[in-house]
Amino acid sequence: MIDQVLLEARQVSQRFRQPNGQVLEALRNVSLAVRTQEVVALVGPSGCGKSTLLRLLAGLARPAAGAVFYRGQPLDGILASAAMVFQSFALLPWFTVTENVGMGLEARGMAGAARRDAVARAINLVGLDGFEHAYPRELSGGMKQRVGFARALAVAPEILLMDEPFGALDPLTAENLRSQVVDLWRDPATGVNTLIVVTHSVEEAVFLASRIVVFGTNPGHIREELANPLPYPRRERSPEFEQMVERLHAILTATLLPEPEPQPASAPQRLVPFPRVHVAEVTGLLDHLLTRPDGRGEVFHLAEDLGVDYDRMTAVTRAAEQLGWVVTPGETVQLTAAGREVMSGDDAARKAATRARLRQHPLFARVLAMLKEELEEGAEPAEVEDEDVVSDLTIHFPFIPAEQLFATIIEWGRYAEVLDHDPTAGRVTLMEGA
Amino acid sequence: MDLGLSKPVRAIKALAPPFGLRGFGPADVVILALVAGAAGAVVVFAREFEAPFLQAVQIDLRAAAVPKYTLYSLMRGVLALSVSFLFALLFGYAAARSRAAERLLLPVLDILQSIPVLGFLPGLVLGLVALFPYRNVGLELAAIVMIFTAQAWNLALSFYNSLKSLPDSLRDASKMAGWSPARRFRELELPAAAQGLVWNGMLSMAGGWFFLMVNEAFRLGDRDYRLPGIGSYMSVALDQRNVTAMGQAILAMVVMIVAVDQLLWRPLARLPRRAAVLRRRAYRSALRAAGPLQRPLQRPLQFARPVLTLHRRVAFGHPAVVGTGVAALVVAVLAGGGWGLWHLVLLLRQLGPRDWGRLAGASGLTFARVMAAVALSTAWALPVGVLIGRSPRVSQALQPVIQVVASFPAPMLFPIVILSLERVGIGLGIGAVALMVLSGQWYILFNVISAVSAVPEQLKDATAVFRLPALATWRALYVPAAFPALVTGWVTAAGGAWNGSIVAEYIEAGGTLQTTTGLGSLISVATARANYPLLAGGITLMSLIVVGWNRFVWRQMMRLAQSRYTLAQ
Repeated sequence: MIDQVLLEARQVSQRFRQPNGQVLEALRNVSLAVRTQEVVALVGPSGCGKSTLLRLLAGLARPAAGAVFYRGQPLDGILASAAMVFQSFALLPWFTVTENVGMGLEARGMAGAARRDAVARAINLVGLDGFEHAYPRELSGGMKQRVGFARALAVAPEILLMDEPFGALDPLTAENLRSQVVDLWRDPATGVNTLIVVTHSVEEAVFLASRIVVFGTNPGHIREELANPLPYPRRERSPEFEQMVERLHAILTATLLPEPEPQPASAPQRLVPFPRVHVAEVTGLLDHLLTRPDGRGEVFHLAEDLGVDYDRMTAVTRAAEQLGWVVTPGETVQLTAAGREVMSGDDAARKAATRARLRQHPLFARVLAMLKEELEEGAEPAEVEDEDVVSDLTIHFPFIPAEQLFATIIEWGRYAEVLDHDPTAGRVTLMEGA
Repeated sequence: MDLGLSKPVRAIKALAPPFGLRGFGPADVVILALVAGAAGAVVVFAREFEAPFLQAVQIDLRAAAVPKYTLYSLMRGVLALSVSFLFALLFGYAAARSRAAERLLLPVLDILQSIPVLGFLPGLVLGLVALFPYRNVGLELAAIVMIFTAQAWNLALSFYNSLKSLPDSLRDASKMAGWSPARRFRELELPAAAQGLVWNGMLSMAGGWFFLMVNEAFRLGDRDYRLPGIGSYMSVALDQRNVTAMGQAILAMVVMIVAVDQLLWRPLARLPRRAAVLRRRAYRSALRAAGPLQRPLQRPLQFARPVLTLHRRVAFGHPAVVGTGVAALVVAVLAGGGWGLWHLVLLLRQLGPRDWGRLAGASGLTFARVMAAVALSTAWALPVGVLIGRSPRVSQALQPVIQVVASFPAPMLFPIVILSLERVGIGLGIGAVALMVLSGQWYILFNVISAVSAVPEQLKDATAVFRLPALATWRALYVPAAFPALVTGWVTAAGGAWNGSIVAEYIEAGGTLQTTTGLGSLISVATARANYPLLAGGITLMSLIVVGWNRFVWRQMMRLAQSRYTLAQ
């Protein structure tokens, strides 16, 4: 039965309505076929819709367009042959370990001795013997997630869906638990033959997956797929493993930090969203680059050195790049002369340099132009309603939560002393002298 | 993230548990004595004055008169609310500042908010009317005191809790900055407490309308103590079976509730943030205007400052002063309680075995009605609350409607309900239960909605993925998750039902007085017939039953709820 398509998403799209009325498209035209015996990892930046796709595959939500198929049959309701493991564990606090593990057995019509056996077996598989009568609040994070796995394994699922299962655990516990997951998958006694895991960690994806699917954002879509033929069990320090990690790094960098398209100098600048990063993060990156030889480093190494995930790191890098303080040839982040200059000045000089850059940035320039227009019409002080700015942003960036982008614009505008904001009145104002 | 873009959404919040989880201790003995003392004091107060017959107030049923009566009612409600706020501030400060005051005042508050204060109404009205025999002053005072007792306690507790939960670091920072106590209150303590005060103020106002409607339409036997207001308008309309006027009264009440919500609470909810902005603007423009005057004005103030602050420290901050004040307070409270208790004992000694038998029988009946009302309320409000709370969209959409409906004072509708029940052959004995349901059901609904809407999405996903059948999902997820809030709802609903019993078992409907055996009607009948020993026995018994049940039953359930059924892992 090898290579049979087990679970398939065909051209699925998904949309969500934000509290402010904006409709965000989380996924557009995504197709993914998962075969038996596969371990598929879904990776990508936050907001790329990978968790949304997992929920669609589980039948927890219906796609706005397209359909999900299980063994060729359209999925209607919850996927019965699957079980799921959650990042937040999702255990019932008033149930003991045994009761939590037995949660899925009622729907399978198991009761009495059969039920007790299934629960005991699952508890034994994840090494929770002795904790049967404990309540979740008495367990550590790692132990709680073992209960999460036991609950999933108790129903002997064909497919195991995992939504960042190690995301809430400390690194030591996560490493220990993920090698056990591979063992469980290879153990025929569990009945699990297919895994789909959403993850934020490149190493985790390479360690677990036989196929890695890379997502891009705005709206969420599949960028690239990478087969991972390394034999199980995998050794994390082996050269082949490192090589695979580097390849995935390269793909993710190309997704997250795309090379600029060549543009004729005369063409008007395209409106690009500013990444949702704080001022201190960008100066922190520049500071760190100054300490490195030649002021450069690879984005994944920078992320590791600074202790942030690659998603955040690339966002910070993109912001610095938009301001002209770094360039990103390939996977390298290189400090520019302008970047060095801004870091050599005092606080006032930094603000002045940021101000000059923001005025040229198409997005900030647009907001400033809105305010200047008010000024020319004789309004004193020049001010615009928040709602006008946000709805303008919604039109230009339908895939980005406009309120978050707005908050970023305000933070940077205040730092550079060009914009001010009165949250009570709901107005953006031009700062004096700006 | 609040960018000030979205209008402040006031989600339905849970009530705070009405009492702490302390065990039974010597303090409780003192408290019970105080309650009994208060009961005794009220009865003695009523007995001292032979209540005269007041000229019954003339109510004009024309539509044009409705705004006038609505305004009368509104003024009473707002006046009582202001007094309640003042009380809350004083109480909160005293309890948060002094350990001794805290140990005395908190348990007292515990009791005050759980005893059925409506039981004291007949005695209070009689006493106050006798004090001011020729005008409505006594009645007005009684109305405001009664509304106050419905409004003050949760406000006081909320302010006290806000003061207590203010981080020490903030307090330290304000001291380092050299802020005066007045400034600390204005810019630190009041803004920090604002949200709780506004939310509790809304709840208080709803409770206040309930009491006000009872008060304005109060009649005792053949004596008419009605006050001009929307409550008496409704009662006269009912007497005359004037359906148009009834509709007008109900409409006026709804308009008033919505108007208070829109014109008072909504602006107040935004006030703390706005105040700072306005003040800064005013200050800046004042500076600009007073530019040349600024320096000469500042000088003398600078000189005066050390004197002012020193004076304040000597006057109010000194431990000896605080200690004396607290001691005086304690002595006054205990002495008052003791005096009342002594008189109570004297009154109760006059009761014979037959009277005690009557009291016991009536208590049993009313207790059964209260419990039936709580059970019936739960039977509909728990499932409906889960259904609403489960869907954020539904609870968002229904919230304003529920809020208005829940603020509507049920006593206004009591006679209508009783007359309709009569038509299908249900007497007041059973019908009183329906009235008690009307008095307490919303607390249960609110609490269940707020608890269920706090259930994490991933837990809901988990029950869906593991295909828990619908019934099992309710049993395993929603009902346990709602349980702690449900217990709090029960406590409050039972309190409402006990209060409701005073008006539900002794009711003027369709021009005739209807009564049914029970503790509520016993209290009213005893007052009407000037049987003061029986009145004292009734009030005392009702208070003791409620307080005892709170201590020994609800509290145990709350312990269980908090130890087992909390969602925080």
